Order: sequence, then C-alpha cells, then structure tokens
Amino acid sequence: MAGLLDKERIIAPPGFNRWLVPPAALAIHLSIGMAYGFSVFWLPLSRLLGKAQGLDGSLACPADLGFVGEVLSTSCDWKISTLGWMYTLFFVFLGSSAAIFGGWLERVGPRRAGVVAAFCWAGGFFISALGIHLHQILLLWAGSGIIGGCGLGLGYISPVSTLIKWFPDRRGMATGMAIMGFGGGALIGSPLADVLMKHFATATTTGVFETFLAMGTLYFIAMLCGAFGYRIPRADWSPPGWTPRASQSAMVTTRHVHVNEATRTPQFWLLWGVLCLNVSAGIGVIGMASPMIQEVFGGRLIGGAGALAELSTEQKAQIATIGAAFAALLSFFNIIGRFGWASLSDLIGRKRTYFIFFLLGTLLYSAAPAAGRSGSIALFAAIFCTILTMYGGGFATIPAYLADMFGTQFVGAIHGRLLTAWSTAGVLGPVLVNYIREYQIRQGVPNAQAYNTTLYILAGLLVAGFLCNLLVRPVAERHFMTDSELAAARTGAKLK
Amino acid sequence: MSDTVNRPTDDPPPSGASWAMVAAAWVLVGIPLLWGIAITFRKAALLFR
Repeated sequence: MAGLLDKERIIAPPGFNRWLVPPAALAIHLSIGMAYGFSVFWLPLSRLLGKAQGLDGSLACPADLGFVGEVLSTSCDWKISTLGWMYTLFFVFLGSSAAIFGGWLERVGPRRAGVVAAFCWAGGFFISALGIHLHQILLLWAGSGIIGGCGLGLGYISPVSTLIKWFPDRRGMATGMAIMGFGGGALIGSPLADVLMKHFATATTTGVFETFLAMGTLYFIAMLCGAFGYRIPRADWSPPGWTPRASQSAMVTTRHVHVNEATRTPQFWLLWGVLCLNVSAGIGVIGMASPMIQEVFGGRLIGGAGALAELSTEQKAQIATIGAAFAALLSFFNIIGRFGWASLSDLIGRKRTYFIFFLLGTLLYSAAPAAGRSGSIALFAAIFCTILTMYGGGFATIPAYLADMFGTQFVGAIHGRLLTAWSTAGVLGPVLVNYIREYQIRQGVPNAQAYNTTLYILAGLLVAGFLCNLLVRPVAERHFMTDSELAAARTGAKLK
Repeated sequence: MSDTVNRPTDDPPPSGASWAMVAAAWVLVGIPLLWGIAITFRKAALLFR
C-alpha cells in the first residue's frame, strides 16, 4: 500500500494529459468545502433528544447547569451556540494543519496528503456520528472540528503546488478551478444533507446520524478518487510549445525560496496581511448579509412597507426566507469570483488584481449604506455580489501570487503557512462586525443603520490591505536557493 | 542559479483516449456542482420576485 502513495509513483508518464489534474483537485475541494455548509446540521442536532421524546422543539438543559455541565450532559439537547464551536474549530485547525504539514506535503507528494485528508475528513464524520449516537458533543468537536479540520487543511493545500507546476502558463486559472470547489462544496453538501436527513428521519429521529455516516462514506470515496487521480510532472516538464517569457515582470521569479526562508521575508508577511484583511472584510459581510438585507429593507422585500420590527410573524418568516435567498446568491458569486478573478490575474498580474480588490472593494463597501438608503434592492444586492466575487478571488489568486514571488518548489508549504491568515480572519472578521454592531445598538443607533459604521470600518480594512499590497516588491536575491540546495530539495532531502 | 522546472520539453501530445478521460472526469465533478448551483439559483430567485 505504501508504494501506491509514494511521490515517485505518481510522476506522470510522457503524454499525460494535464487537464486530468484539475477535476481530481475539485473532487477533494468539493468534498471539504462542505465545511461552509455545516450550519444545515445545527437545527436537527439541537433537537435530537426533544424529537426522541416526542417534543416539538429541543429538550432544554436545566437553567442552573453551567457551560461544562451542558458540554458533558447526555440528557439535554445541545444549543446551536455550542454546536457553532465546531465551525470555529474547522477554521483554526484548517490554518494550523496547513501551516504545520505543508512541508511534509511537499516531501511526500499530493497523493499521500490527499489520502490522509480523506481519512481525516471522512473519519471526522464517522466520529461525529458516534458522538450523535452517544449524545456526546466532545466527540463532534474532536471528530468534525479537530480531526476534520486537519483534513480540511491538508485537503485544501494538497493540489495547489501540483496544479501550479502543471500549469505554469495559467497558474491563477488552475488554482482558481480547485479553490472554486471549496466555495462550491456547500452548494452541493447542504442540499444533499437536507435530502438525506428527510430520507432517514423517522417519528423519533432527525436522520442526522445516518446522514453523517452516508456523507462521510461519499466524501471518503470522492476524496480517494481525487487523491489517486493526482499526478505530478517531471522536474524538467513544461507545457509543449511554452517557454517562460524573457521579458517577464520582476514580480514573477523563475527561482525558488525555501519555505523556512520565505517566512523570513517581508513579502510573506505583506501577503499574509493582504489575505487576512481581504478575508476579514469578506467574512464580516458573509456573516451579516442575511440579517442586514432584512433589517435595511424590511417590508419592502415583500412589496410592502415598514421596518422589520413592525412586521407580523408571518411577514418576518417570508423576509427570513428572502434573507436566506440573498445568502445563497452571495455563495454563488463567491465561487464565480474564485475562478474568474484568478484567471484574470494570469492576464493582468497578481498585484494589479489585488489592487482592484482593494480599490473597488473600498468603494463598494463605502457605497453600500447609500444603496440601502436609496431603497434599490437590486443595486444593494449587486454591490454585495461583486464584493463576494472579490472575497473568493482573494483566496484563489493568492497561491499564484506566492508562486510568482517565491517560485514553485515550496509553494504548497508556503501557502499552508499563509493560511494562518485565514484562521486569524475567521476570528477577527465576525468579532469586529458583531462588537461594532452591538456597541452601536447600545448607543441608540437604529438596527437598520447599525450596519453603516461596520461597513465603513470594513472599507478601512481594505485600505490597509491596499497599502500592504502596494509595499510588495520582488524578493531579495539572498533569499533564493542555490542550485545545490534546490537539487537536494528535489531529491527528497529533508526540509531544513 | 538557473531554473530547471520551466525548460521546454518534447513530450508527445495527449492521446484521444486521454481527452475522453478528461471529459469523463469533468462530468463526474461537474454534475454535482451544477446540481448545487441550480438549487442555489432556485432559492435565490425569491429575492427577485
């Protein structure tokens, strides 16, 4: 079995079709992308015991039971806020595992990393299913959150370096295709989970236990197919007829920086800032998109008038459905942006692409409150859809930016370390948005207007991102590897 | 200091069978993705009613 996973085993033979690699990468990214869609499980998971006892809702814990008591209890239902920790764990462990195991991935190759990712991600589903069966939240946190989170990190970075080496002529497009899958995973996983839960549900169960088992199995098969589809090019391979342009920009190197050296360069930390600030602003918007459109437009969303608080329960339910529709629309533009902007970056360059994100983003975030006041739902939606394309585009363009700056040899590992910016943004964005909003509401600002200051502050983050991008310059000569160091790295010598 | 990754090579072009495999692989990942996108559009249509 070990031989099957070896890096040497997956070196492509002459005549191999490089277009087979992106679908393999997509199979993995579409599977792990379900992490974005886990909220579909929160409601059924929060009603497991209630439904078993024939109640309409949850079986609430006693009021005097503290947080630890609730975590350890097997006799009352979990709160949605307790389940939500799984989401935080996903993104913390995604970033940490990508940073820690990136060097290992470069050494052992993408297939082994993809197989380990499949075991972790699917294994997380199976451990969580056991947690549901025993009604033990710690098993869900450890299974999906921690072990699954490590699978996310490994799965996410597993194809990046390989795709960049197969598509030196279209780095952005190639990584954009794979990373588009991560955005698209929830589009498939959420409705699939919904269908499966309805299929497995009985009078006394929500069907979520069986759904976890079924989805874990499906993802395991899909990810193994992806991992076994990976092939790496020979070290001297390049696309037929393609040669690097002699007049290539100084921002695109043909040499290589070691992963440990890359983190000592200002360029790495500037790009870390670029990703963190772009993602913080985007995550902030994603988190508040649905409530924002409901509170800003209120009754106008259903052809009436009046603020959200003045509407009937039935009208509020209709508006909540429209809020969910808005969130769905944004998720579509998120994946479109991943492919579109990353492909465009091949033509106009990475630095210019990020300049567009930060300049256009600042303008759009600043214009959104005025669009809300104008009463135009279409204009408001168009602004946020465009913002979401740039959020996705930021994720998908960064691997190619790294390859341009640091070379392709360690780009997977360098990308892994850079993903700690994502983990940071995953905490920073929502915290910033929630605290600013709560502070304003405490100060007496009406709910519908409380988003305005938040949007201006998010625009400020983009200005900071613009400055980081502006400061990115070619990497200094002393950081590049010598020929002998590069040769040692290619023969599989252990990383420094 | 020279780069050895981006040297042009004289690989044979991919065979016709390999393009059939490419098409099959894209169909396998494309169908579920299109299903997800179709459902998303159906949900999002509510916004413009």
